[in-house]
Amino acid sequence: MTLFRVDTQINRPTAWILSWFLFVAGISLYFYTSQKRHLENPEDKVVPGLTQLGQGISDAFLKSDADDQSATGDGFFHSMLWTDTVASGKRFLWAMLLLIPAVVLGLHMGMFPVVGQFFLRFILFFDKIIALSVLPVLFIAFGIDELAKIMLIVIGVTPTIILDCFNLTKSVPQEQIVKGFTLGAKDFGVTYRIVLKQILPRVLNSIRLNLKAVMLFLFAGEMIASQDGLAFRIALLRRHMGMNVIIPYVLWVALLLFLVDLTMRVANRRLHPWFREA
Amino acid sequence: MLWQSDYVLIKRILSLILLALSAAAAGSAADKPSFVVGWSVYVGWNPWYYMAKSGILKKWADKYNVSIKVQRFDYAPSLDAFVAKNLDACAMTNMEALDMPAAAGIDTTAIITGDYSNGNDALLARNNLTLPQLPGRKVLLVQKTVSEYLYERAMTLNGLESQTKRVKLVNTSDSDIATAFISDASQDAVVTWKPMVSQIAKTKGVKMLFNSSQIPGEIVDLMVVRTEVLNRPDGSGQRFAKALAGAWYETTKLMSGKGPETDKVLREIAAGSEDSLESYKEQLSTTNLFFTAQSAAAFTASGDFKQKMNLVRQFCFAHGLLGSSTKSVDDVAIKYPDGSVQGKPDRVRLRYECAYMQMAQMGKL
Repeated sequence: MTLFRVDTQINRPTAWILSWFLFVAGISLYFYTSQKRHLENPEDKVVPGLTQLGQGISDAFLKSDADDQSATGDGFFHSMLWTDTVASGKRFLWAMLLLIPAVVLGLHMGMFPVVGQFFLRFILFFDKIIALSVLPVLFIAFGIDELAKIMLIVIGVTPTIILDCFNLTKSVPQEQIVKGFTLGAKDFGVTYRIVLKQILPRVLNSIRLNLKAVMLFLFAGEMIASQDGLAFRIALLRRHMGMNVIIPYVLWVALLLFLVDLTMRVANRRLHPWFREA
Repeated sequence: MLWQSDYVLIKRILSLILLALSAAAAGSAADKPSFVVGWSVYVGWNPWYYMAKSGILKKWADKYNVSIKVQRFDYAPSLDAFVAKNLDACAMTNMEALDMPAAAGIDTTAIITGDYSNGNDALLARNNLTLPQLPGRKVLLVQKTVSEYLYERAMTLNGLESQTKRVKLVNTSDSDIATAFISDASQDAVVTWKPMVSQIAKTKGVKMLFNSSQIPGEIVDLMVVRTEVLNRPDGSGQRFAKALAGAWYETTKLMSGKGPETDKVLREIAAGSEDSLESYKEQLSTTNLFFTAQSAAAFTASGDFKQKMNLVRQFCFAHGLLGSSTKSVDDVAIKYPDGSVQGKPDRVRLRYECAYMQMAQMGKL
């Protein structure tokens, strides 16, 4: 029995079967349930069958939103899936851009004691505030339009990123900083060219691991109030059990997240070939 | 192994003996068919909470030899549970009865027509805006619900039908809609229902432009039962429906009076949603509750109701609420108490049934 042996060698076909088994099992279970439910009620919408899913996919990928007057024409780039993806994608990118100042702040807090003293205690406190529980405050401060959705993400995710950058900065060996100074570097030189350079791959990793939190806040924001976006569509479709469109949407979001994650991982490896972790 | 199966056998025999004994002792209490009713917070549904708590429902359930459990839900999950067949009966509006269970192929029967919204749903706006000024602006509402229906009716009745789609609807969750509109002063208009409407109406500079009292009888609140439950061959489903109707009209009778006794009942009903007596009475004033079975049955059986239901089903179809695979509005047909059918007769999915209300009316329950 090699199941619980640390040094088990797996050949290629076995590895392939092992890694795909749960997918096949999940899909089979789904269609089994679907078929059983359709025997009972041919119009069942809760677990759509293959033809219903096909219909849903073609609706999502090819048809424009029936309620949206501005969206005319057919084809993928007029489809509701694409317009929703663009809307959500914009919010996502804005939120990612706003993470850059967070990284810089964390770095400065770690390097400069005055900045650190000024911010650390407050951000430690702020980090523990559940953004979703103070929605009325957010509505007053940022309204309920685009800004509010982006700020919800920023408030939800930046404290974690700031604190992580702070800790990473602190973990750079003091000897290197001293050496930088003895070799004639100035404060900002040491900060940006010695410390930031070293922590950057880890910072990127930290952002990568927080992608799911970003998406969670984005979805929450779109479900509270919105006119477009991936979560908006899912919230709307739930109202009449449009599971045949919701399931393709959920898989599409999973695919997009996977691609963003992959891109960041590859970029990190390219940018920092010396970094071997995670 | 042998020992274990012996053990199981002995246990079975023992339980059979016990069952026989208890059946002999207490009638056939052991095999009482049990049913679950779901309700969510709304002025016209809170009485279900009171009925269960006060023992009125138990009394009627005992009379018809069934056991009934009442469970509180959020509205959307209660619909999901009903469609998933986890509930036998559920409180919902005429619109959701059509676009949730009926459109999902669950044959549904409305046994009690409880009330219609007579001002509970409303369109409110800031800055002295009027309906003709709305096109081009944003309106917060829960899309694809009675709120959007009310909005479209408001536009249509004011001759603005062609402008309906020029207003930008912002889908807003009902749990956040009041705070969102009140705290963000840049929002122009909102459509929602009570108690949120009462809260929003108190805000400075907000005016009500349209409410459901201008479309009486179109937003109707029902108690629906799955038809397959109702038609159970052992008759338990019908006994269940009779018990519900009996308990309902006993409660509405208690609610309809005046004076401290009635206030006591209403206060307990309001407690079902942590509401106060004053607030509940205020909501009741904009609800046309059918206190008598007679009025409810007459409303349900009227030709007028068919026309109103027709508006609702056309709305549902036009907005894709009957599902993308439903090619015609007639594919989800509605059957009325007089036997007439709106839609294809072989595709009846929603039935309005007056029999239980009539039995209550004639005191035959």
